Amino acid sequence: MELFNDLLLGFSVALTPMNLAYGFLGVLLGTIIGVLPGLGPVATISILLPVTFALPAPAALIMLAGIYYGAQYGGSTTAILVNLPGESSSVVTAIDGYQMARKGQAGLALATAALCSFIAGTLATIVIAVAAPALAEVALDFGPADYFSLMLFGLVAAVILAHGSIVKAIGMILVGILLGTIGIDANTSVERFTFGIPSFGDGIDFAVIAMGMFGIGETISNLGGSEQGRTFVKEVKNLWPRWADIKRFIKPALRGTALGGCLGLLPGGGPVLASFSTYALEKKLSKTPGEFGKGAIEGVAGPEAANNAAAQTAFIPMLTLGLPSSAVMALMIGALMMQGLSPGPQLMNQRPDLFWGLIASMWLGNLMLVILNLPLVGIWVKLLSVPYRMLYPAIMLFCCIGVYSIHNNALDVVLAAIFGGFGFLAKKLHCEPAPLLLGFILGPMIEETLRRALLISHGDPTVFVTRPISLSFLVLTFLLLIVLVAPMIRVTRQRAFEESTD
Amino acid sequence: MKAQPTATRRAVLSGVALAGAVLAAGLTSALPARAQADYPNQPITLIVPFAPGGASDFAARLLQPRLSAILGQQIVVENRDGAAGNVGMDLAARAKPDGYTLFLGNVGTVSINPYIFSNLRVKPLQDFIPISIVADTPGLLIANPAFPPNNVKELVEYVKARPGQVNFASPGSGSVNRLEMEAFRREAGLDMIHVPYKGGAGPATADVMGGHVSLMFVTISSGINHVKGGRLKALGVSTKQRVPQLPDVPTMTEQGFPKSVSSSWQGVLAPAGTPQPIINKLHAAIVEAMKDPTIKERMGESGVIAVSSPTPADFKAYIEADAAKWSGVIKDIGVKAD
Repeated sequence: MELFNDLLLGFSVALTPMNLAYGFLGVLLGTIIGVLPGLGPVATISILLPVTFALPAPAALIMLAGIYYGAQYGGSTTAILVNLPGESSSVVTAIDGYQMARKGQAGLALATAALCSFIAGTLATIVIAVAAPALAEVALDFGPADYFSLMLFGLVAAVILAHGSIVKAIGMILVGILLGTIGIDANTSVERFTFGIPSFGDGIDFAVIAMGMFGIGETISNLGGSEQGRTFVKEVKNLWPRWADIKRFIKPALRGTALGGCLGLLPGGGPVLASFSTYALEKKLSKTPGEFGKGAIEGVAGPEAANNAAAQTAFIPMLTLGLPSSAVMALMIGALMMQGLSPGPQLMNQRPDLFWGLIASMWLGNLMLVILNLPLVGIWVKLLSVPYRMLYPAIMLFCCIGVYSIHNNALDVVLAAIFGGFGFLAKKLHCEPAPLLLGFILGPMIEETLRRALLISHGDPTVFVTRPISLSFLVLTFLLLIVLVAPMIRVTRQRAFEESTD
Repeated sequence: MKAQPTATRRAVLSGVALAGAVLAAGLTSALPARAQADYPNQPITLIVPFAPGGASDFAARLLQPRLSAILGQQIVVENRDGAAGNVGMDLAARAKPDGYTLFLGNVGTVSINPYIFSNLRVKPLQDFIPISIVADTPGLLIANPAFPPNNVKELVEYVKARPGQVNFASPGSGSVNRLEMEAFRREAGLDMIHVPYKGGAGPATADVMGGHVSLMFVTISSGINHVKGGRLKALGVSTKQRVPQLPDVPTMTEQGFPKSVSSSWQGVLAPAGTPQPIINKLHAAIVEAMKDPTIKERMGESGVIAVSSPTPADFKAYIEADAAKWSGVIKDIGVKAD
């Protein structure tokens, strides 16, 4: 039982009082920055990175990892309570989570998010322990053509997110893609839509748009409503999931874990793709798809499990190959290098204490998070009874601080305000912000991978259908399109039929 | 104050003006002299134009404790990333030239960006006074282990037999690693396809490892572990002598390409106008700091060479030669962003 011995070693490292303390500090910090809008794990880990140089390697890594997956837990809190996704991966949670909160089920939504994250975190930790090296090889098999097809699938799936008009959703996706083109082009170094402003060279930050569209836009439109409009606060019912609720969310949580665990391995939009493809899947599987977007518990459970599983499996390429799959993982590699360690395939054998200690700490961290978050649910829900006139200025303030902290750039705050106005306008026109954000994230990736795949194939487009992985995703995309378009055709046919009988 | 002076008033005024001028001259020379004598008497900010965790941040963080101890003042590392390092460089260039704001420049910001970004406000060679190089990071020519050529000679033959069929990756179209490859393939007369990536060396290295792209130049620190772990093979290193951490990897020079000597260097610069005594003091402190065995060892583990310039003038000459070389390559291949 080598695995058993390895895990034993891991727990002996992770359970030392010092590592437990740093692990707790990490998840606590992560929860806090996750709850605060705009402040993300990348900024926090950047700030804390130098502090960890003085710590022993396992303690440093355990704490930084705790911040990362702690933020995934915390990010859902503001998404559910005030429709303000703190992290890109909680955009989807906001859709049904916020509607649940409006129905007086904020507590249930928060508890569901925490429990599903825990289930996913536990299962993903087991997967890392058992199959990390093998899974890393799978991730390497993904070439640019495969990524392109996967992202294309994701973009088409984004349409399912909309619970209103499909045309409007497509419109919002396209606006998102357009916004995503801002910045210096990777292939030619040409500046696109930067208006000569150097800060636009790296494009607009995701958080700026999210804070603007969700945070500020929501605040403005809520100001338009009356104070009485918030009756949902007074009738907070079923704070804790009952057996019936658990039965409803366990399957979505497990499916979300599986999907999230797979997508987390891939660089780029792992957790984001994971959370909304799970949402799309649950909506399609549901017997009552009409409930989605109006407060379906499955719409919270699946995506929350998926983003947490993805956050966990994102460690696999970093730990087993020394390859970063995201900005956070690149920071972790930086932390390892400052410790005098070389991230790479040999790390597992050279420092088994570090490797297994981190894995054991992930499970302990998830346990701490659920213990930390469940009692907090009651407190968070009380936050909703804070009057508008105090709650909204506070949200605005945190949005501004969060947005400013990304690059210490005042222009970002101005941009967030502009997107706030746009978000309000979009809400009035019944256009949803989630498809825009997904277009914004996926658009540039699609462009990048398309051009890269064609460069590699020397302009031969058959590369997308000759590679098995790519072909599978294209077939899935095609099937999804049929599923999407079929009801529309049926409706038009019906109309045509009705007209002819008239 | 614009009065119409009478003759006497004019005389008095000119006298006052003269006295004032003398006093002012005395003050301007005395004040910095005093400021220089007790320099540094407050913390010094070292602007790193890249995010934490990267090669520049790595060099700055290693230098920080030793340099703080030598100067008797805390060095504060400030990461100001964005626009390929141009945001941080711009900030440093416009800082007060009093020795309390320094810039950790590198090959990209100082020697390459001015020739790629034509609207760049900063002219690094004029807006900064070079103090000393601190890290010399060789380039490593890596390839997928299944890629047939095992050295540069075989690579040249292989590509010549397959013009326009071999792909090489780079961490960005204006990156030093791309330019290293462009310079090499021009010298060797090779026709290869460039596949740019973004987001650091990670994604590009992953695709070389996965066999989607055949080869690339990387900084030795990004490639050494994969080579040691057998996931990638190294065809050559861009140093004059072999690197002790990879003794079996021949240099590009050894393999017939003496022009393929290059480095992703990092060094400390001060805004133009910083008084010479302060530059000299900082230079002496950096030279002293770079002798620290911990710094040498930490850098050495990832193949980076801990170095310092004999004099600030040497570093200036080094940068000028480096900038001249890369601007030539950029002009040849025609990368430009307006």
